[in-house]
Amino acid sequence: MTTIVVSGKGGTGKTNVAALIVRIISERKVTLAIDADPDTNLAGALGASIRKTVGDIREGFLDEKDKLPPETDKQAHFEYRLMGIIEEGDRFDILAMGRPEGPGCYCYVNNVLRAIIERLEGNYEVVVIDTEAGLEHLSRRTVRDIDILLVVTDTSRRGLETADRIRKLANELNIRVKQIYVVANKVRDEKDREKLKNMAEEMGLELIGFIPFDEELAELDLDGKPLTQLKDSSPAFKAVKEIVERLNIM
Amino acid sequence: MAEEFPFDISPMYEGERVRKGDMYVELGGPNRDGFELVQVVDPDEVEDGKFTLIGPDILDMKEGEAYPYGMIYKVAGEKLEKDLEAVLERRHHEFQPYMQGYMHLNQRYDIWVRISKDMVKKGLKSFEQIAKATMMLYKNELPFIEKMEAIYITDEEKVKEELAKAMEIYKARDERARAIHDEDVDVFYGCTLCQAFAPTSVCVVTPDRPSLCGAMTWFDCRAAAKVDPEGPNFPIEKGECLDELKGEYSGVNEKAVELSGGEYDRIMLYTFMEYPHTSCGCFEVIGFYMPEVQGIGWVDRNYPAATPNGLPFSSMAGQAGGGKQTLGFLGIGIQYFYSPKFLQGEGGWTTTCWMPKALKERVLDAIPEDMRDKIATEEDATDIEQLREFLKRVNHPVVSKWAAEEEAEEEAVAEEAAPEAAAMPQMQMLQPGMMPQMQLPAFAPPSGGAAGGIKLILKNANIRVEKIVLKKKE
Repeated sequence: MTTIVVSGKGGTGKTNVAALIVRIISERKVTLAIDADPDTNLAGALGASIRKTVGDIREGFLDEKDKLPPETDKQAHFEYRLMGIIEEGDRFDILAMGRPEGPGCYCYVNNVLRAIIERLEGNYEVVVIDTEAGLEHLSRRTVRDIDILLVVTDTSRRGLETADRIRKLANELNIRVKQIYVVANKVRDEKDREKLKNMAEEMGLELIGFIPFDEELAELDLDGKPLTQLKDSSPAFKAVKEIVERLNIM
Repeated sequence: MAEEFPFDISPMYEGERVRKGDMYVELGGPNRDGFELVQVVDPDEVEDGKFTLIGPDILDMKEGEAYPYGMIYKVAGEKLEKDLEAVLERRHHEFQPYMQGYMHLNQRYDIWVRISKDMVKKGLKSFEQIAKATMMLYKNELPFIEKMEAIYITDEEKVKEELAKAMEIYKARDERARAIHDEDVDVFYGCTLCQAFAPTSVCVVTPDRPSLCGAMTWFDCRAAAKVDPEGPNFPIEKGECLDELKGEYSGVNEKAVELSGGEYDRIMLYTFMEYPHTSCGCFEVIGFYMPEVQGIGWVDRNYPAATPNGLPFSSMAGQAGGGKQTLGFLGIGIQYFYSPKFLQGEGGWTTTCWMPKALKERVLDAIPEDMRDKIATEEDATDIEQLREFLKRVNHPVVSKWAAEEEAEEEAVAEEAAPEAAAMPQMQMLQPGMMPQMQLPAFAPPSGGAAGGIKLILKNANIRVEKIVLKKKE
């Protein structure tokens, strides 16, 4: 099972990139998409809709735990709940982590959820996780060790600096990441590429690909339409396909 | 073993999920009735190995559809007692997932099963094969089952009918489980899940004393300890009962020494002021002792304002947590209010004086009727003065202690003071025979790991002051 985490500075288009990756990989591999960004935009980008999130289950447990029958197997109970919130699609399934914790004690709940989500992931060949730059879910270990961490940047130095910070944060959190790559998104021209290449090298970041600014994608985004409608021939789609091929997971 | 069945059977298929696109049929689940039930019966009521199906069989079902599903097993054996039914039934959720291509989630009336298209392709034709594989697993694993029979139901009406009967059986089991008390068991359980934050904290979870965080009951700990013996839950032999009222057990004391790194050697389960149970900081409710009224107040995490002692939950949490036995504070789980042993070492509900209204309402049925109107909420009192007035007015049991105090001996116990003391105590001019009105100094916020602030405990004190002069330091 291969885990790919897509992160990056807000506004760089990482959710769109994650959505395209899911679309491409799920054509050949059984894929689970996890939206670990509390803003939950990934489902929309994939043409799916989320009814409930893991956060809802967590909060729901705090409300219902005193009413459960005395000998309830809570882990089994959670597994049932989790199964109920996975949105099952044709090619991929999608799960949303939802909101972060409120006040109260989540030690036990998170412990159980961690175990269940790990078991769930074992049923898929590839898991793609869309997460914000703060890596909150990773730090809470509700997501485990990572094969590939892709950090998306736009044509800005700050985007690359965020990539650098994410790499450092992953180290500090003792998350085992096998490979880290930067993906430059919304690239306009050759000058952009040159500059980004140089800055990445300077920071010791490995740039794995450029995704050009794509009119068609921008139109879909503006209209709020899912990226499943993006044509295979579009420049952004083709660029992401190349990147996925370079990652060598198919 | 596996040769008789067209599907592989192994523990490695545990946790298997069948995706919607891969499923042949769904059984039970969120959209259909479903249940499983094990019944221990007399040997002449069971025909060993028999399988009965009421309703459509696998090949009669339409691909991609969802159906109701009831699985009833009758077992008999010399060593089998009715009490074991639930134990046997819980293993069903363990065994059925061993079948490759068969997803089984949860238990009782909340089961969710999916059979994969693959399973059918490989030769699954009938529920009989599923039932027989299940019974085989049971008998292999539990040799004291001498006879076992299965009845599967997929007919909607019949499932509804049998489900209603099963619900009564589950309910009766729950009643019996709720009736299990500390004296009925030999083993308590420990939970060290929170030790990451409080290395000396060990929760002792008993049938009458659920965990502070409210998430784990004695049953949960028992299950967790079995599933993961190296994990955060483990058995604690009760040992000898050293004090029934206060809840002191030799086994618990021994474990306390071991697990708290020697910090504590005695824990009492039903007390407040004597060797109380420690906590990490995850408790749902904090109890605080108010010496001015000689009673206890409770406040939950959700109550934002200050309690009559001047402190809100968040300030007291530091005193009550951190894995220390801080006298005067006790962290508990909400379910403890319902326990028959609730604070019995300290007079139970008769010492409770104050709770936030929302909390009181939530646990109202746990409060003895004659105490309900005697416990103040923020609507009755928000400070000690008002609280005393209220308690006197309703003639709360603690009021009788106030009278006794005037005749008792003096005894003052002061503990180490931290360098910063907060507000000065307010003193009144005393008339002979009058109770001193003392506002305890506010506790300094906890700093670092140690509990900060002053702890001043005056028991049975009778202070006579002629004059106090407060002068500003030049």
